[in-house]
Amino acid sequence: MQEIFRHGQGLRRKVLVVDDELINRQLLGMIVGQEHDVIYAENGREALRQIRKHQETLSLVLLDLLMPEMDGYEVLRTMQADAELRRIPIIVLTSEKDAEVESLHLGASDFIPKPYDMPEVIMARIDRSIELAEDKMTIREAEDDPLTGLYNKDFFLHYARQHDRYEPETPMDAIVLNVNRFHLINELYGRSLGDGLLRTMAEKIHLLLNGTSGLACRSDSDTFYLYLPHREDYESTLMSSLAAIDGTLGHAKITIRAGVYPNADKSVDLEQRFDRANLACSRLRGNYLTACAYYDTRLHDQELYAERLIGDVDTALNEKQFKVFYQPKYRIQGDRPVLASAEALIRWFHPVHGMISPGVFIPLFEENGLISRLDHYVWQEAAAQIRRWKDQYGLTIPVSVNVSRVDIFDPNLEQELREIMLVNRLSPEEYLLEITESAYTDHSSQIIDTVARLREMGFRVEMDDFGSGYSSLNMLTSLPIDALKLDMGFIRNIAKTEKDFRMVELMLDIARFLSVPVIAEGVETEEQYQLLKGAGCDIIQGYYFSKPLPPEEFNRLIEKELSERNS
Amino acid sequence: MITLDSLKAYGANVEEGLHRCMNMEAFYLKLFDSLKGDTRVDDLQAALAEKNLDKAFEIAHALKGIYGNLSLTPLYEPVQEITELLRARTDTDYGPLMAQILEQKQKLDALL
Repeated sequence: MQEIFRHGQGLRRKVLVVDDELINRQLLGMIVGQEHDVIYAENGREALRQIRKHQETLSLVLLDLLMPEMDGYEVLRTMQADAELRRIPIIVLTSEKDAEVESLHLGASDFIPKPYDMPEVIMARIDRSIELAEDKMTIREAEDDPLTGLYNKDFFLHYARQHDRYEPETPMDAIVLNVNRFHLINELYGRSLGDGLLRTMAEKIHLLLNGTSGLACRSDSDTFYLYLPHREDYESTLMSSLAAIDGTLGHAKITIRAGVYPNADKSVDLEQRFDRANLACSRLRGNYLTACAYYDTRLHDQELYAERLIGDVDTALNEKQFKVFYQPKYRIQGDRPVLASAEALIRWFHPVHGMISPGVFIPLFEENGLISRLDHYVWQEAAAQIRRWKDQYGLTIPVSVNVSRVDIFDPNLEQELREIMLVNRLSPEEYLLEITESAYTDHSSQIIDTVARLREMGFRVEMDDFGSGYSSLNMLTSLPIDALKLDMGFIRNIAKTEKDFRMVELMLDIARFLSVPVIAEGVETEEQYQLLKGAGCDIIQGYYFSKPLPPEEFNRLIEKELSERNS
Repeated sequence: MITLDSLKAYGANVEEGLHRCMNMEAFYLKLFDSLKGDTRVDDLQAALAEKNLDKAFEIAHALKGIYGNLSLTPLYEPVQEITELLRARTDTDYGPLMAQILEQKQKLDALL
C-alpha cells in the first residue's frame, strides 16, 4: 500500500484543469484522465470555486495563466495566501520563460510548456508534483507537535543534526526550558490553562527564532528544547518575555526556568548537549522565579570526576587502595614535647588518578553516605595498627579516628566499635573518637546521648573543628567530651593577626572552664608553636612536628620517643 | 470530414499531434470540432485594423496555444511569430503575416 501511495499509482487523485481553451482542456483532460479523475474550470474565478469545493480531496491544479475574468496569477496569489489551499500543488501551463519564473515565485511547484510536452512527460511531472506535496504533508503532520506547532523531538533532533552538518562552524547554544510545578498548574487551573501556557511559551520561542537558523521543539509535557546560533542576550529577550507570561493567565503563578549550554561542544552527542542544558536547568529546581542558569564545562568535569570516584569506591576498598596515615600529636607543656597520640588520616592511591586528597573525596562521600564505609575501614586499620605498635614497642599510641554524622545515627555503632576493640584486644581507653563540632549543633540531643554511651564504654571523645560550628556556651557545658580540637582556620593566622590569637586564647579559656585539654592542629611554624605553648595549649598536631606518615615511618617517631624517655 | 491524410497533406505534424493524444486517432480528430466556425482569426485581423494591440496579443496568444497543441504547423508558425511581435507591442506592418495566417486558416477551414 505504501508503495502505491509513494508512486502515485493505483490510487486515482483528483486533478483540476484550468484553461480557457476548450481544446486545451480536452487534450489535458484526456491525458490526465488516464490515471486520475479530472475536473475543469475555464477561468480563474471558476477555478477558485472548484478548488474551495474540493479542497479536501484535490491533489493538483493544472493552471493556465492568461485567461479572461481572472488570470492564473491571481489564482496563485489567492491560494498562497490561504493556509488551507497552500498545500495543493499547482503546475502552471505556459509558453513563456518569464511567466515560468514568476509563477514559481508565486508558489507554483512546476510548469508544463505549451504546446504540451508528450503525454509521458506530462504524466511524470504531474505524478512527481503530487508525490512531493503528499510527502511534504506527511512530514509536516509527523514533525509537528500539534499543541504548539513546534517540531516534535525526533524531527527536531534530525534537523538540528542537519544544521550541524551544513553549518559546522556556527557556534550554537542548546537550551532547555520548563515550567516550575507544571503538573500542579494543570491540576489547580485545568488542562486548558496548561495548554494555553505551553502555546504562549511556543509563541515567545517563535519570536526568538524569527530570522535565525535556530529551531525548537516541545520535547515532552512542559519541556522545550531550543537550538540556536549563539547569543548573549537571553536575559533581555527570552527570559524577560517568558517572565511576562506570569499574570497573563489568571491567578496562576507561572515561573519558567531555563538551562543554557552556550557554545555547545559539537563533538559531544547532540542529545547529551541537551542533557547538559538540562543539568544547568535542574540547578534552578526550588528556585521559584523565572530564571536562567548556564552550563559550565568545568563544573561538569568536576561532577564527572566525582561520579567516577564514587563508582570506584568498591574496588578501592577491595584492593586496599585506601591507606591510613598517622599524624602524631605531642603534649607540649612539659620539659620536652611528648608523643601522646596520633590521628588516623586516610589517603587514596588511585591507580589512574594517583594520590587523591581527602579534601576531594571525603566531602563527596559525606553527601551520599559512602563515608560510613570509609570510616569503618579506617576504624579497623587504626585499631590493628595500635595493636601492632603495642606488640612491637610495648606501649600504646592511642589513635583518633573520625566518626561522621551518619555513623552517629547507626544503631550498630557501639556494637561495631566494641567488636573492633575485641578483635584487636584493645580497651576503649586506647582509642580516640573525633566528632566534628557542627554535628553536635545539628543534632545535639541525639549526639549527646550517643557520645555519653560511648564514653560510658570507656572511649574518649574529642570535639573536632572546634570554633567552626555554632556551639552555644550553654550547650558546651552539658557536652560529654574529653578534648577540644581547635579548628585549623584559627591557628593559621595567630602569628599574624592579634584578633585570631585572641580568639584562640578565648577558646583555651573555655576549655579550661570545661576542664578539658585543648589540641591545636595545623601547627606549622616555631612561632605558632611558641604562641600556643605560651597560651597554655596542651597538645599540638601539625607539620611543625610531622606530616601524616605511613605506619612504617611513624615507627621512627615511636623509637625516638622511647629513646628520649630512657635517656 | 477531416482525416489524418488531409491533415498531413495540409502540412500538420500529424505524428506529433497523434502522440500528444496518446495515439488515439478519433480523439485527435475530434479536437478539431471546436475549430468549426471559430472566428478568432478574423477577430485578430479586426483588432490589428483597430490598432488594438493588447486585444490582438490576447487572441494571437490563445490561437498559438491551440494550433501548437494540434500540431497545425502551417498556422502555428505565423501565429507564433505574430504573438511575439505583439507581446513586444512592435510597431510594424502586420499585413503580410496576417495574410499568411488568413490563407492557412482558409485552407484549414476547407478541411473541416
